[in-house]
Amino acid sequence: MTLPPYDLDVRPILREGGEPFSVIMGAVEALAPGQSLRLLATFKPIPLFHVMGARGFDASAREIGNGDWEVIFTPAGLEAEETPKPSEPAKSGDDWPEPELEVDARELDPPEPMTRTLAAVESLPVGRTMSALLPREPLFLFEELKRRGHEWRGAFEPAGHYRIVIRAAEAQKGTS
Amino acid sequence: MGTALSRWTMAYFTAALVFLMAAQTMMAMGYGYPTVAVEAPETLVLVHTVTIGWLSLLMCGALLQFVPVLVAKPLQSEKLVLPALLCLLSGLVCLLAGFLHLAGAIETDLPLLPAAATLLPAGFLLVVIVVARTLWNVRPARLPLPARFVAIGLACLAVTFAIGALFALVLSGLLPLDLRTEGLSIHIAAGVGGWLTFTAIGVSYRLLPMFMLAPDEERAASRAVWRCGILALLCFAAAPLERLAGGFGIFGPAAAVLALAALYFYGLDLVFLYRNRKRRKLELNMKAAIGAFVAFFACGLLLPVAALTGTLEMYSGAVFYLAAFGWLTGLGLSQLYKIVPFLTWLECFGAVMGRKPTPRVQDLVAERRARLWFALYFTGVAIGTGALACAVPGLFRLASAMTLVAIGAIIVELVVSRRLLNLPERDSLPEGASRPRLFLPSAR
Repeated sequence: MTLPPYDLDVRPILREGGEPFSVIMGAVEALAPGQSLRLLATFKPIPLFHVMGARGFDASAREIGNGDWEVIFTPAGLEAEETPKPSEPAKSGDDWPEPELEVDARELDPPEPMTRTLAAVESLPVGRTMSALLPREPLFLFEELKRRGHEWRGAFEPAGHYRIVIRAAEAQKGTS
Repeated sequence: MGTALSRWTMAYFTAALVFLMAAQTMMAMGYGYPTVAVEAPETLVLVHTVTIGWLSLLMCGALLQFVPVLVAKPLQSEKLVLPALLCLLSGLVCLLAGFLHLAGAIETDLPLLPAAATLLPAGFLLVVIVVARTLWNVRPARLPLPARFVAIGLACLAVTFAIGALFALVLSGLLPLDLRTEGLSIHIAAGVGGWLTFTAIGVSYRLLPMFMLAPDEERAASRAVWRCGILALLCFAAAPLERLAGGFGIFGPAAAVLALAALYFYGLDLVFLYRNRKRRKLELNMKAAIGAFVAFFACGLLLPVAALTGTLEMYSGAVFYLAAFGWLTGLGLSQLYKIVPFLTWLECFGAVMGRKPTPRVQDLVAERRARLWFALYFTGVAIGTGALACAVPGLFRLASAMTLVAIGAIIVELVVSRRLLNLPERDSLPEGASRPRLFLPSAR
C-alpha cells in the first residue's frame, strides 16, 4: 500500500490507568481503505487481535523494549468485513453463531462496561455475536442496543453477574 | 436516550438548587430561626423552602431517574412528570407566599394556603403515581430491598403532604382543629425520617455499590435496617394516639430505640461497603458522602443524649439543621456531583459510544477544585450546628454565608460539567454526539 500506516500510541493512556479501547476503535474508523494501523502499547494486546481479526485485519506484534509492544494491523482483504462466514449449524434450535469475543467488564466503573460492550459490538461483522460479562443488568445498554438495532439475549449468572450475548445488526452510521 | 434517561430529572434538580440557594441566602441574612422563634411564619418559609423546594424536588428528580434502575423496569406514566413539577412549583410558591402573608410581609386576599393545600398534594400525588406504578410493574417478583425502602418513603410522603394540607387549611381558618402538638410531630417525622431519610438510605444501597464497585447483594444488616426502620416509624405514628388514649407512653421511647438500632445496622452496612469496594481510589462524590454519613450518625448520637438530659427543646434546632444540611443536603450535593456529569456524559456521547473515541466521565469534572468547595461546605455545616447548639445567631449567619458560597461554587461546577467546559475537545465533539441543554430535555 502506498499509504503510510496510521500511528497510534496508547502507552500514555495505559500508564494513567485509562482505557484506550474506544480511542483505538476511533482510529480504526478513521483508517483509509487499505491503510494499516501501527499501535504502541505497554503490553501485548491479545484481546484486540480477535476484535481486529473480526474486522478483517491481520496482526503482527513485536516487543520494542521496556515491556512495550508494537503491533501492526494490516487489512487482510477488502471483502473480509462484509461477508460473514456461514453460521455454524444450529445447536438445539439456536440459530445464533457462537460468540467470537467476550468482554469481561465485571470490575469496571459505569459507564465503562457499556462503552466496551458497544465498542466490541460495533467491531463485529453483521450477524456475528459477542458476549459480555457485566456487573448488573445493563438498562442503559439495552436502550442503546435497541436504538442501534442490535439483538441481544441476557440473563443473570449464578455468580451474580449478568451475561449478555449480542448479535450485530447492519451498521447504522451516526445518530439514529 | 429514550426511556433510560428521565427527561425532566435535570429540571427537578435545577429547581431544587434554586430553592437551596434561596434558603441559604435567607439563613445568611438572618431570616427565620434562630433570629425568630421556631414556630414563627418566617421559620415556616425557611423550613419549607429547604424541605419541599430543595430536598423533596431533589429526591423526586432522583427517584424518577433511579427507580427504573432499582427495579430494571421502564418508568410508567412518564407524561405525568412535567405536570407534577409544575404543580409542585406553583404549590410551593403559594405556600411560601401564604406564610409571608401570615408574617405580615405581604397584603393579599388570595386564598394562598388553600391553593397550596391543593397544588402541593396534587404534585406529590402525581410523582407517587409514577414511581409507585413503576415499582408495581415488578410483580409477581419481589421488590429488591432498595426499592422497598423507596416504597415506604412514598407512603410516608403521602402522610406528610396529607397532614401538611390539613395544616394549611387550619392556618387559613378553614378547619377548626388544633393539630399542632400531635399532628406536627407526625408531619416532621414522616417527612424527614420517613420520606427523605428512608428513601435516601434505599437509594444509597444501590448507588454506593455502583459507584464504588462494592458487593451488591442483599445483606442481613440491610434487612435489619429495613425492619427496625419500619417498626420505628410505626411506633412513632402510634405514640400520639397512645398519648390521646392516656397510655404509658411506651411508643415514643420504643421508636427512638428502634431508630437507633436501624442507624447502627446502617453504619455496619456503610463500613462493609466502603471496606469491600473494588475501586481503591475513591472519587470525590464518595469522599464527600462520608461527611454526610458522619453528620447522620452525629444526629443519631445527639438526639438521645438531648432527650435523656431533658434538653431536647434547646437542641432540636441544631439537630434538625444537622440532619437537613449535614446528612440530607450533604448526601444530595455529593451525589449530584457524580450523577449530573454521568447523565450529561450519557446524553452527550451515548449515540457514538463504541464508534468514536469518547472522553471519560471524569474528564467532565475538576475534582481538585470541587474538593475545596465540599470541604468549605461541611466546615460551614459543622460551625453552623455548633452555633445553633450554643445559641450564637451571629456565628450561625457567618456559617450560613460559608455554606452559601460553597453551594454556589458547586452549582457552578455542575454547570461547567453540563456545558462540557472541562473537556479540552469541547469544541470538536465527535460527529453524532449531542451537546446537552442545561436543564431542558434534549431533542434526541
